[in-house]
Amino acid sequence: MQGVKNVYKPITANIVEVITETPTIRTFVVRPKRAIPFKAGEFMEVTVPGVGEAPFTPSSSPSVTDTIDFTIMKVGRVTEAIHNMQKGDLVGVRGPFGKGYPLDAWKGKEILIVGGGVGGAPLRALFLALTERLDDFKKILYCYGARTPKDIVYKKQIMEEWPNIDPKKIEIRLTVDEGDETWKGNVGVVTTVVTDLGLDLKNSVAIVCGPPIMMKFATFRLVELGYPDSAIYLSMEKNMSCGIGKCGHCMLGEYMVCKDGPVLTYDLIKDKPAIWD
Amino acid sequence: METHYVTEGDFVKLLSWLENQGHLYVATREDDQVAIKPFSEVGDFIYPGVRAYQPLKPLFFSLLEEVAEYPTDEEGLKESRPFTIIGAASCDLRAIEALDRVFLEGDFKDPFYEERRSKSLIIGFDCTEPLETCFCVLMGINPYPEKNFDLNLTKIEGGYVVEVGSEKGKQVVEQNKDIFKPATENHLSQRQAIRSRVKEIVEKQSKEFKPSGSWQEVLAKSFEDSAWSRNVETCVECAACLFICPTCQCFLLYDERFGDRYKRLKMWDACAYRNFARVAGGANPRPHLVERFRHRYYHKLDYFPKTYGFEACTGCGRCIVACPGKIDMRKVLKEVCKA
Repeated sequence: MQGVKNVYKPITANIVEVITETPTIRTFVVRPKRAIPFKAGEFMEVTVPGVGEAPFTPSSSPSVTDTIDFTIMKVGRVTEAIHNMQKGDLVGVRGPFGKGYPLDAWKGKEILIVGGGVGGAPLRALFLALTERLDDFKKILYCYGARTPKDIVYKKQIMEEWPNIDPKKIEIRLTVDEGDETWKGNVGVVTTVVTDLGLDLKNSVAIVCGPPIMMKFATFRLVELGYPDSAIYLSMEKNMSCGIGKCGHCMLGEYMVCKDGPVLTYDLIKDKPAIWD
Repeated sequence: METHYVTEGDFVKLLSWLENQGHLYVATREDDQVAIKPFSEVGDFIYPGVRAYQPLKPLFFSLLEEVAEYPTDEEGLKESRPFTIIGAASCDLRAIEALDRVFLEGDFKDPFYEERRSKSLIIGFDCTEPLETCFCVLMGINPYPEKNFDLNLTKIEGGYVVEVGSEKGKQVVEQNKDIFKPATENHLSQRQAIRSRVKEIVEKQSKEFKPSGSWQEVLAKSFEDSAWSRNVETCVECAACLFICPTCQCFLLYDERFGDRYKRLKMWDACAYRNFARVAGGANPRPHLVERFRHRYYHKLDYFPKTYGFEACTGCGRCIVACPGKIDMRKVLKEVCKA
């Protein structure tokens, strides 16, 4: 959004596809009037005309520039309105805002990704960005948990495509809180698969994104395993409204999550009030 | 910085010159209070003596304004008319500095604030009649402006000492050479006497509230203090303290339909309100009033200094006057920081 004169004005975008991921989550593929380049982990404000805005991190690869995917769970006023929209409808997009994942700083490292529920959205953008430059990283271990098998986002990709990109370097571990007749994998919260990592913790970073309660216990688990606080990257969910560090809604201690985050390392925020609420 | 002397008679000429440059807002009397009003309405300027009852922020940051219209191709930015404010106290100037840092720094500026700020000429003054609620000296500033002004006035016998604080202020002097006379030693010693006297008054009344270290240091030990709960008892969540605060800059963006188009509006918001920080799905980092009450103090005296290096409280005392629950920020801080 650099160079834009009025940072509050959304860029018109056309919904070109709506993909139903789970009973409550859909991916909206939008084509903005002009390309909006972004880095994995940076977020955007999506406008539903007349209803308002809400913050979302794109779930598509940053290398795709003509369209952007937003994977959105129906949880509130704006997301409910988005879920009522269809192919051909217009939305608005502002951004990108905040700081994304520092991929360059992770060169040569072993990457652990821990995700839950719709938290898989930013993590897909990250995963795709990492795999597009896989030579830079030694390993990727992707641990993802959903409530039930029906709640797994990007199911086909995550179960069939991703494990085959480079089986020597990439490992995918899935778990569900509650199985069903089709489910043959692990049952339990995501921390139950964050074990026996086979990673060199001295040369590893961990990225966590998911519902607050899952982030909390995943973080505690990572600390217990021996990850330094500064190697744990958390995607903080706060009320990001302006996106530019001015409106005050997303404050976390002295940080404006929209500007200083949304990705923040645990060492910076562990002592701040109400980080998991 | 360069200083001049302007006689009372010449000052009237300066007012009419300034009026021709754009809008002119001046200090005047409203009942027993100082108010900032458009000069065209009051046709009168009084040397204020103390900060106006209202903060200056609405002149830069509107209570409610349209910030975008969509879908259109226009940027939606409007040029504003130049304006002058005569009557910014030292605390008000510090507040403008705080707003400047928030709205004009970082990767993105607020274009509406920037436009108005770039068109403003700000004339400060030395306080001569501090209120009993004034405590600027506890917030690292004095009751006389030392920076952040274009010009500053001190009322002395027969006229004003005028100090130049910026290039913009210098231009005013350049264009009114016949009005600005050299300030003499006598003028400057009169100014010094006023400054010392007023500083002493504010220091004396603030003494009992002085923290044992920096605000950051004392607040670092006070987060869990029971005094927060005791002091919030009379708070009715009206947010008057926040709306009247010269540095509070939180706002809400919301959209409305206008025919076949939509408008985005930006309106003052306040962290005292229950759902201020709530996210979709219902999580709320500060669901209890006491947490929101405490947040205001920490934002101003701990978080803001961590980011910008100075407090976002100016000691103007407006929140003390505005509070229907008679909550006095100085007393709250004294109680929570007593340890």
